[in-house]
Amino acid sequence: MRAALAVAGVSLRRILRDRTALFFIVVLPVVIITVIGTVVQNPGGFRIGVLASQISGPPLATSLVDELKSVGPLHTLADESTARTALRRGEIDAVVLVPAGLDADLLGGQDVRIPVLAGGAESTQSAVRSAVAAAVARHAERVQAAAFAARTTGTTTAEQLPRATAVQRVTPRIGISTENVATGSDYLPLGFSYSAPTMLVLFVFINALAGGASIIQTRQLGIYSRAQAAPIRVRSLVLGETLCYLTFAVLQSILIVGVGALLFGVSWGNSLAAVALIGTWALVGTGAGMLSGALFKTPDQASAIGPVIGIAFAMLGGCMWPLEIVPDAVQTLGHATPHAWAIDAWITVLSRDGGLADIATDLAVLAAFATAMLGLASIVHQRRLTS
Amino acid sequence: MAESTVPVLAASRLGKRFGERVAVDDVSFEVAPGETYGLLGPNGAGKTTTIRLVCGLLRADAGEVRIAGTPVGTTSTAAKRRIGYVPQEIALYPDLTARENLRFFGRLYGLRGTPLNRRVGEVLELIGLSDRATDRVESFSGGMKRRLNIGAGLLHEPTLLVLDEPTVGVDPQSRHAVMESVRSFGATGMAVLYTTHYMEEAERLCDRVGIIDHGKLVAEGTRRELVAKLGERDRITLSAAGDLGVLADRCRDLAGVDRADVKDGEVQLLAADGRRLLPGVLEAAERSGLSLRSVEVDEPDLEAVFLHLTGTALRE
Repeated sequence: MRAALAVAGVSLRRILRDRTALFFIVVLPVVIITVIGTVVQNPGGFRIGVLASQISGPPLATSLVDELKSVGPLHTLADESTARTALRRGEIDAVVLVPAGLDADLLGGQDVRIPVLAGGAESTQSAVRSAVAAAVARHAERVQAAAFAARTTGTTTAEQLPRATAVQRVTPRIGISTENVATGSDYLPLGFSYSAPTMLVLFVFINALAGGASIIQTRQLGIYSRAQAAPIRVRSLVLGETLCYLTFAVLQSILIVGVGALLFGVSWGNSLAAVALIGTWALVGTGAGMLSGALFKTPDQASAIGPVIGIAFAMLGGCMWPLEIVPDAVQTLGHATPHAWAIDAWITVLSRDGGLADIATDLAVLAAFATAMLGLASIVHQRRLTS
Repeated sequence: MAESTVPVLAASRLGKRFGERVAVDDVSFEVAPGETYGLLGPNGAGKTTTIRLVCGLLRADAGEVRIAGTPVGTTSTAAKRRIGYVPQEIALYPDLTARENLRFFGRLYGLRGTPLNRRVGEVLELIGLSDRATDRVESFSGGMKRRLNIGAGLLHEPTLLVLDEPTVGVDPQSRHAVMESVRSFGATGMAVLYTTHYMEEAERLCDRVGIIDHGKLVAEGTRRELVAKLGERDRITLSAAGDLGVLADRCRDLAGVDRADVKDGEVQLLAADGRRLLPGVLEAAERSGLSLRSVEVDEPDLEAVFLHLTGTALRE
């Protein structure tokens, strides 16, 4: 065991000293989590656009624009044409076209309809519509209160609007809270809650595959051969490399979990289930890395082909997009990869409050993948080293 | 050979084949404590395979290897503890420092803590790399890498140091340094098994030499024993002014001279031990009244022995 620890220690030291490897292990996952998390959903709210002409208009229109800031960061756009282009490009989620005659119509007792242009996915459109409607409703409350006060006191609505706004701020709100109890539903985590676990699955696997290059290089250097002249068993060498990859996979998982929780506020669900899933997936990654080191002949092969295989598996397995949006046949094919089982388990843990028992089947399948890959890798390594 | 009842290394009737190819065929030899034994042969002769069998890196098809009486196998740990193996290639981590590499190999041999640190320091000193201990191996010259490669085999203070062509691809200066190191190991009482295809190295370093070709050990002994076995003679060439025929006749009468001829304006003698004959030859020249201009003694070398035994020159 001491020899295995020596091998594991020296291999880990080499990985941690490789700046290129550290980029792919530390920096890239955080960048990708950020990008995908932002694209799938902006955690700071929706990006709402308003036209430049509406920023400093009459009091009621200005008040509405201010209210819209509660929905998300406001983007000022030159005109409607520019706004439509920004929507098509996905630069913003919706544009609120505040009518030029808003103040006149409201003060004149007319009903007003506010056009909203939305882009993106259906679910995003629906969500942004609700958010804008809520903001408009809050604005309408103030206008109605100001109008009532104006009629009662014989003043104007515009004069009473600041008072109505002040009163609204101190008036207790009545809201609703929702809880999704449909555990069998297709509800999916959004934003960083989606990108963090999927990138954990993707990067642990892909870096392990590429890391197989290190094993091949060590073999080519003749170090394993030399080590066999020492009073140790071949299995100690294989065990040492396995421990290295397992430690490496666990460390990377901890990094992604930590970054997800601390920087992006990701809740990783039931602790026991999450730990079991991370551990089992680390074993899958370890198996992949060891198999890569056993089957590829040159470090370049492992570095070049490994990531391609990793990305292909990630695509099929639902790391890039939810498997719920692909045809049934592709979903079935995806479950030929361990990734799909891992993603299924994470969705259960994160979106359905799943515990250890709820992901037992997924864990069993992942354990089978890990056992098969580690077993095959061990056999091939031992044959290579003793032939 | 140093005196000892149990040889440090005893290889007995070793055989190894890879498919149809016979790599090692009935090879037997012994190495005594403090002895430096050279396995001399061209590339592909079976030297490395023999060494891999000796170190327990390959399973022998026939025969056995014992280190100080303990059998060596691929899984035997007791015998392997006594062997320091230095492979032909630079089997070191290029991205680790010299010290880190030595610590790693030391740990494989069970060294830990203070003893490991002490030995690493001693070995760095021995191979002259103390001042480069914290530098990465990838920044080393070829010769420094070679020295560190050897150092990694010395950490556990082996009884037998096995070096597989340690000077291949090394510049002359580094080659000299490596050879001096090996010579010093022999002086400390460590037995050394040294393979090479360079005659000069075998002649300079080895107490005894085994000549291996096509997997067979075709002869072994000291250089002089090998030469004597094959009937090779030293050649003494005398250049002088005067009647060379008289000088040749007088030399022919000296004990130990097998033949004396006048050829190309010189007297050429063949003898078993040319150096020992020199005083008599000089006296014969003086009695003949001749003034010697030059005397050359050519001793038959291992190249000649190898040529005689295998019918081919030793190829690089």
